[in-house]
Amino acid sequence: MKVKYLIEKIEGEAELEFDFKNGLVDNVNISFPFYRGIEEILKDRDVMDALVITPRVCGICNHAHLIASVRAIENGLSKAGINIYLTQKAISLREFTLSCEIVHSHFKWFYLVALPQLLNLDGIKKPDNYILKASWASTNIVKALAIFSGQWPHASYAVPGGVSCDPTYEDIIQAEALVDEVTRFVENELIGMSIDEYHKAKEISNIKGDMATIFGMMAKQNMKEKGKSYDRFVVLGEHPIFQSGLYNKKYSNDISFAHIKEQTQHNSKAKSVTYKDMCYEVGPLARAILVKNDFILNLHDKYKDSALTRVYARLDETIRLLVYMKSLLANLNVKELSCTLAKMPKAFEASGVGIVEAARGSLIHQSIIKDGKIQKYNIITPTQWNLSSGTQKEAGVAVQAMKGSVSIKEATFVFRTFDVCSVCTTQ
Amino acid sequence: MAKSTKLKILWLQSITCNGNTHSFFSHPDFVTLMQKFEVIYHPLLDSVYSLENVINKKLACDILVVEGAFRETGMQKANQEIYAIAKSYAKKAKHVITVGNCSTFGGVFRLYDTESIGGFCFNDETPNEAYKLFKKKLISLPGCPAHPRWIGNLLSMILSQRQILLDNFHRPLEVYGYNAHAGCPRSEYFEWKVDSKNYGHKEGCLFYEYGCQAPYTHANCNKILWNEVSSKTRVGTPCFGCTEPYFPKKDLWHTNTLMGIPASMPMGVPRRAYLTITGIAKSFSIKRLNEPIIKYKK
Repeated sequence: MKVKYLIEKIEGEAELEFDFKNGLVDNVNISFPFYRGIEEILKDRDVMDALVITPRVCGICNHAHLIASVRAIENGLSKAGINIYLTQKAISLREFTLSCEIVHSHFKWFYLVALPQLLNLDGIKKPDNYILKASWASTNIVKALAIFSGQWPHASYAVPGGVSCDPTYEDIIQAEALVDEVTRFVENELIGMSIDEYHKAKEISNIKGDMATIFGMMAKQNMKEKGKSYDRFVVLGEHPIFQSGLYNKKYSNDISFAHIKEQTQHNSKAKSVTYKDMCYEVGPLARAILVKNDFILNLHDKYKDSALTRVYARLDETIRLLVYMKSLLANLNVKELSCTLAKMPKAFEASGVGIVEAARGSLIHQSIIKDGKIQKYNIITPTQWNLSSGTQKEAGVAVQAMKGSVSIKEATFVFRTFDVCSVCTTQ
Repeated sequence: MAKSTKLKILWLQSITCNGNTHSFFSHPDFVTLMQKFEVIYHPLLDSVYSLENVINKKLACDILVVEGAFRETGMQKANQEIYAIAKSYAKKAKHVITVGNCSTFGGVFRLYDTESIGGFCFNDETPNEAYKLFKKKLISLPGCPAHPRWIGNLLSMILSQRQILLDNFHRPLEVYGYNAHAGCPRSEYFEWKVDSKNYGHKEGCLFYEYGCQAPYTHANCNKILWNEVSSKTRVGTPCFGCTEPYFPKKDLWHTNTLMGIPASMPMGVPRRAYLTITGIAKSFSIKRLNEPIIKYKK
């Protein structure tokens, strides 16, 4: 039996066509209906324009697109023989602002999507304060981001060779205060204990706050068994806090870009992407596995890549990033240069790749530049890895995870554990 | 259930990145503000109706907010053209608000196909067919994205029935009567023509070397600040003119010049006046403005 379902409020919409067999989901066709043509819009434009246009791919992870596009330009310039290096200050600022965006996105996902959807699955009316919590926490952390980037969404403050801002200690102190406030929110509301106590907690059952609520609900829905996919993970972005590499039964740090393949899909404007012709999961769970985060590895040993492990990984990452962000600010040396590249070369040829870890996983920008102008631009988003219908050989990561669901409601919750973003998937 | 007397808001998206939705969500009083309205549909918030309900039923609506660029055909949701849906709700609504540059002028996404994609009521600066139908109730909030307070304050002004004065593009003067240059901490460098020579410094003006559009751009960004703390020019990024119909211009980081003189003059400034003032300013060298504001000790 085939059932079509329009899934909405996922940064746009998607159409899921479920194939039920004996009352269980047997297959799902995922279709993202609209293509906006960002890659074509960039054609023949000045290379620097990419820093302004590409954030407009996505209202929620725009900053990650900015960082990916500046990395692509820098990679191209380096390969063209132009010396590119970043000061520790510039590196830390980019890390900080990108982390702010990831944390903000996780808050929105948790309070606007995960928790309400799970309560809905159980037929419980959700308390009104979830929107307030999402709003307060996300607003305050993007405020810290904007101190350095000028605004959120859609900043363009990362430029080849560094960043355009030149912060003072006063700016840093203001950002630190905001991170402290948001950390206090996490301790009071999300985990119901201090972050130190959290790191000492050995079992998820020891954790309190809203996290306890979601784990109670997930246990009830047997989410430790549901939502399992291929248990294959990839992390492509290079960051001090993450580890790039591959996990497929065993770890490998030997990644070749040549193995990444994009493919058009029948019935959808989104392209699927594979590594060595296999589907891999990207995102917080992949990052936790690759960085060998004990807490998550423990859960993973017991419950594999279930919905529970995936949800937990995203929340755990939120907490770890806040600690990381605090240390970035504490060690920021304002005396260093913000940007080391004095002038962009005028007419140059280059071909570069920029990869970052965005909220939902690895994001890739590729640009080919001729005469200082963009000849070809290609974007591969995290959600293309997770949310494609798959290849001829195997179903996509999220499709595999939804197989065996007893209802559309349950399947769409599993789907949403990947943190769906429609606009990124099709660009 | 008691019948709500609150004004009904319907937030519809077309060809968009959701940037305005997320911008507005960072309004510090977002929740309190939205509780004053009955939300028929919103891309993030729970609403009584599903998108399919909105598309297939004829619901009542007082304020229609549209986000994203439009095309007559080829942008469907639930098998219906979103442009037709938006028009049918616009006919009923008392107010039609276009949030963001895309829904106002066409913006970034218009560039994909300027023949068929445009704003809801304007294609760049040209009013289109829908403009004739809705001009009496149209309020434009261009920006990429619109500032959270532009959206929030406008909704509050509608609620409190305050007078909303508009410019030629139907942009509220309270916001767009200013230019983005007003309040820029670099304005002293603009006045004395001390140009920024490379990125990453708090000193120097971005107008001549880096394409800063602030002197041509209608917006109060540097008055009310982004996310309450900052603005592009405050962090050394030029203004890209995102509230204007020509956004995004080509070569966003470059200033067009004719024989060394900026091709466009700051808003309302005669060429001769600009050249005279610039000539005089440049004939002086102000030591303070050519030094770092803070000289940190090693």
